[in-house]
Amino acid sequence: MPKLIIDDITVEVAEGVTVLEAAQSVDIPIPHFCWHPALGKAGACRVCAVKLLDGPIKGIQMSCMLPAQDGMVVSTVDPEAVAMRQQVIEWLMINHPHDCPVCDEGGQCQLQDYTIACGHGLRRYDGKKRTHLNQDLGPNIEHEMNRCIQCYRCARFYQEFAGGTDFGVMGSASRVYFGRFEDGELQSPFSGNLVDICPTGVFTDKTARFRARYWDFDMAPSICPECSLGCNTTPVARYRELLKISARHNDAVNGWFICDRGRFADKKVNSFDRPRVPLVNGSSSGWGDAVDAVAKKAAEFAPGSIAVVASSRLANEGAALLPDLARALSGAKLCFFSNEVICRASITAASQITPHMAASLDDVASADCIVIYECDLRQEAPMMLLAVRQAWRKGAPVFLVGKGAPLEQAAAVSVEAVDLDIIVEAPIGIFDRPVIIFSTMRSSAAEIKNLMAAEAKFAPLFDGPNGMGMAKLAAANSTISLESAVKSGLIKGIITIECVIADELRGEIPIIAALDWQMNSSVKNAGVFLPTTAWVEMNGTFVNNEGRAQQFKKVMAPGIPVSATLESGHPPRIHSLDVPGGEPKPAWEVITEIMKRL
Amino acid sequence: MTIFTDIKAILLGLWTTWKHMLRRPVTIQYPEEKRQPSPRYRARIVLTRDPDGGERCVACYLCSAACPVDCISMQSGERENGRRFAVWFRINFSRCIFCGLCAEACPTLAIQMTPDYEICKRDIMDLLYEKEDLLIDGCGKDESYNFYQHAGIGVAQRRGEGAEEKAPVDVRGLVP
Repeated sequence: MPKLIIDDITVEVAEGVTVLEAAQSVDIPIPHFCWHPALGKAGACRVCAVKLLDGPIKGIQMSCMLPAQDGMVVSTVDPEAVAMRQQVIEWLMINHPHDCPVCDEGGQCQLQDYTIACGHGLRRYDGKKRTHLNQDLGPNIEHEMNRCIQCYRCARFYQEFAGGTDFGVMGSASRVYFGRFEDGELQSPFSGNLVDICPTGVFTDKTARFRARYWDFDMAPSICPECSLGCNTTPVARYRELLKISARHNDAVNGWFICDRGRFADKKVNSFDRPRVPLVNGSSSGWGDAVDAVAKKAAEFAPGSIAVVASSRLANEGAALLPDLARALSGAKLCFFSNEVICRASITAASQITPHMAASLDDVASADCIVIYECDLRQEAPMMLLAVRQAWRKGAPVFLVGKGAPLEQAAAVSVEAVDLDIIVEAPIGIFDRPVIIFSTMRSSAAEIKNLMAAEAKFAPLFDGPNGMGMAKLAAANSTISLESAVKSGLIKGIITIECVIADELRGEIPIIAALDWQMNSSVKNAGVFLPTTAWVEMNGTFVNNEGRAQQFKKVMAPGIPVSATLESGHPPRIHSLDVPGGEPKPAWEVITEIMKRL
Repeated sequence: MTIFTDIKAILLGLWTTWKHMLRRPVTIQYPEEKRQPSPRYRARIVLTRDPDGGERCVACYLCSAACPVDCISMQSGERENGRRFAVWFRINFSRCIFCGLCAEACPTLAIQMTPDYEICKRDIMDLLYEKEDLLIDGCGKDESYNFYQHAGIGVAQRRGEGAEEKAPVDVRGLVP
């Protein structure tokens, strides 16, 4: 355990920890561009210079490249170190276009911050700036190479961390260029992280180009609703419009990154056709009348002939109220899943797994053997694929079992996987920390029971962000799948809670009421429609695939985006406390309202 | 003798009054008479254009960030040619305190203060100035500055043809 002194503070750190990290551990900030907690060091930017006053090494050193050693006396404020950092910044800025006003990174730019922090305020260099031509990197990412400071973060992330092959570094000397061999969309399913990882504005989010500045963002800690992994995100909204989604750091779940599916998902929250007012038989109505209409219609049905159907989009707060709602509706059938096979598989996986057996993404990344059983992670959980790659980089073999697990998924992150036909061929027994990844949407309950008999950790994948939470609740309450409820012939009416029901499954059964925030067939066919808030418009909890309950906070209030309400080009000139389109309420609140009327 | 000091005080006071009765008054008979403030006076805000006639404002949100009373709001957008511009831009002059921090913050010299101090309306909503009310045909106080020529990215000119730029690098070149 090396013990060193940094700016008069004694620090004891583990073997192999760099001086930069040792300083960070006692809240001494050292500027850095190329060093990143997930990517490690490169020694490319030279801006983390410190002076070693005493000990085994002396003089100016790069703190990110230097492992902490016993007896080191480090100064970050020594005039020589300060001058070195100031001059390195000045030199990095020689070719930087001074276009911060038209750069989306302005306000959240590490280069901007450190330039100011290091005290470089006046350009002394008279020469001309080096320029580059940009590439078209597809509809999601904007490229502006003139802003580059050659920290190599993008190429290191893309090639080493994410296993992408179509992006890298070209040229030499001051002509170093980060891009593709030719224009075209980036192929890696994790390309969007270039936006977060670039310390300046070379890569910016094209989908939210020029829409807002960091200091104006409405943002809050949130959870990605695109799959069951529950990656931590920070959605960004402005003027009642969801603009973009960026990754939020959580070492136990997604680390520093998220996948492109989560980042560049359709912004359905802003959708023009999103239903925002309560509807009774297709015509808009007040909240009170609409909820009364639900209670009145439900009273017309015989006990036990209504099905309350939810999907795994629903947050725990609403889902936990559903058993009470079913009881209040004189013994309605409660359906947390539509499909019988998925229902049984989800309940089996959720009730068999214990905290000790569940593998988090971090457990997957540090596993010494990975088995992907009958599922395609590109579709079902892209971030799992990134975790699999980290395990593979550390030497863990990856086995793909069954026809449902195509080799292409391993190729997407440049992992060399072994294709197997049956699970017994995988030599799980000889490893210390094996992880088996399977999907409740592809495997039956019996298969899952068989799998979970193995001595390993398990990463089940569920259908939707709250799949595990729904399965746990389904197991704890008397629930059946909608499929078997309809087959029994007893169901005469359906109430859907943030759920789409296939028309062939529903047949002629009417939808009494639909609670949702997206336009879909359930909403269109419902007798009464009650608008609910989307996940960015409420506080709530999702339980992810490993059983980790994670809170998400309200990012924005519901309302029609200002950009959709412009009158002759300007926002409307009206004074009002009511927000247009601000009717939606969280699902749990609507369910409580209905229960009060029954 | 207190009586003499009292008389002296009265006479001194009256002397000051008589002296000023004979001087020219400093009062200006506004509104019949109007004073022309100096060009650096801080009153009504305008948005100027660059020498080529393009809108200088790039809607960078710095003025609205600097504004201590939050009277500026805008939405930024992108034109076909890549220019960043204000889709809408609104200054609420009923809230503005004419501190000039917005003009100081403006990196493109778009937002400028003028000496036009007569801003008074019967309806408060008329003090809400939109972009077309603010935008003038002219450069204001700086006749020559064009932000995009110095910005270092190719928007107003082709890449590498700006004021302090070299021609774009040939990445595949082999010359050392």
